[in-house]
Amino acid sequence: MPTYIYAITDAGHPLPLNGLHGVGDPPSELRTLRSGRLAAVVSDAPPGLRAKRRDVMAHQSVLETLMAQGATLPMRFGLVGPGDDEVTAALDREADAYQERLKELDGRVEYNLKAGRDEDDLLREIMTESDEIRQLNERTRTEGSHDDRVALGELVAREVTDRGLKEAESVAARLADAADRTSHAEPAPQQFLNLSFLVPRAETDAFVAAVRREAEERGDAYSFTLTGPLPPYSFV
Amino acid sequence: MTLVQQSNATSGGSGSGNLYDVLELILDRGLVIDAFVRVSLVGIEILKIDVRVVVASVDTYLRFAEACNRLDLESGRKAPSQLTDLVGDMTENGAKGKSKGALTGAVEAFSESLQGKSGEEPEEEPRKRPARKATSSRQTQRREE
Repeated sequence: MPTYIYAITDAGHPLPLNGLHGVGDPPSELRTLRSGRLAAVVSDAPPGLRAKRRDVMAHQSVLETLMAQGATLPMRFGLVGPGDDEVTAALDREADAYQERLKELDGRVEYNLKAGRDEDDLLREIMTESDEIRQLNERTRTEGSHDDRVALGELVAREVTDRGLKEAESVAARLADAADRTSHAEPAPQQFLNLSFLVPRAETDAFVAAVRREAEERGDAYSFTLTGPLPPYSFV
Repeated sequence: MTLVQQSNATSGGSGSGNLYDVLELILDRGLVIDAFVRVSLVGIEILKIDVRVVVASVDTYLRFAEACNRLDLESGRKAPSQLTDLVGDMTENGAKGKSKGALTGAVEAFSESLQGKSGEEPEEEPRKRPARKATSSRQTQRREE
């Protein structure tokens, strides 16, 4: 029976699995595998497992509960080993690396920040600052050809991308001191930032306050979505 | 400004209301063990490809051109006084509505692809949610200043 893996922890982690269940329908039963100084929370891997809402939620719930009780290495959703013995062997093989990472992440949580800017606000800025785009815009408003419109859109798209990158850098730089580490990911369409922060648990209030200040200073054309504390998915 | 602050993804009255904002972390980050397999995530790849293709396509260019054409250069920035201080009174407003739309759209692609391929238990799969509902599920945690 293949083994689904949720997390790796220190052997001393209290592993509070009561009331939790694993992926699958019916929900699989969670259990613990131990090897030396490490433990892994696993279940049987249900046949035909997909990334359904129920299963993603189950995975996430297990990790949120574990992370509240001690350092936890969150596995990516859907990771399946051939069997319990192979999982235990993998723990042995990489024991030093896993322990090192658990130590780094102990007492730390992830926050994910997504940010977007009102598109009209951004387009207005681009239009104000680029003569070429403004003139092309005037022309296509009245008579311009299809090619003109594509050319306008391409110029604007490039500006949108460039400015988004710059804004992402700027937000990241201003928040860098409030976190131990950061990790960039691809922003969603119409957003410019998708950035994860590793924050010491004791400093989360200060971090959230720093994000709020940043959002205030950017003004109401910007929207920020901050999610956390989360298992440190982006830092394992 | 708008800052939506969310605690973790599965707790709280909104159920999975926040799950979409961390979906890519759960599916795309996290530790893997070499030589172990991952279950098939049909649809997730599509979500990621979509983002890149969408940015550099003629359709996007034409959409930008149209947005520029209808832009009212005189209207300027929204005055801060237009910011509402009523919690939850920005359901479809400005950037929030747009960015939420984008996120929801991405998840739709994910969901539809799954449904198209598997056809089993469609009620269990991540589903498209109306934007309004998506927003209202967050109102308890919204902070505006």
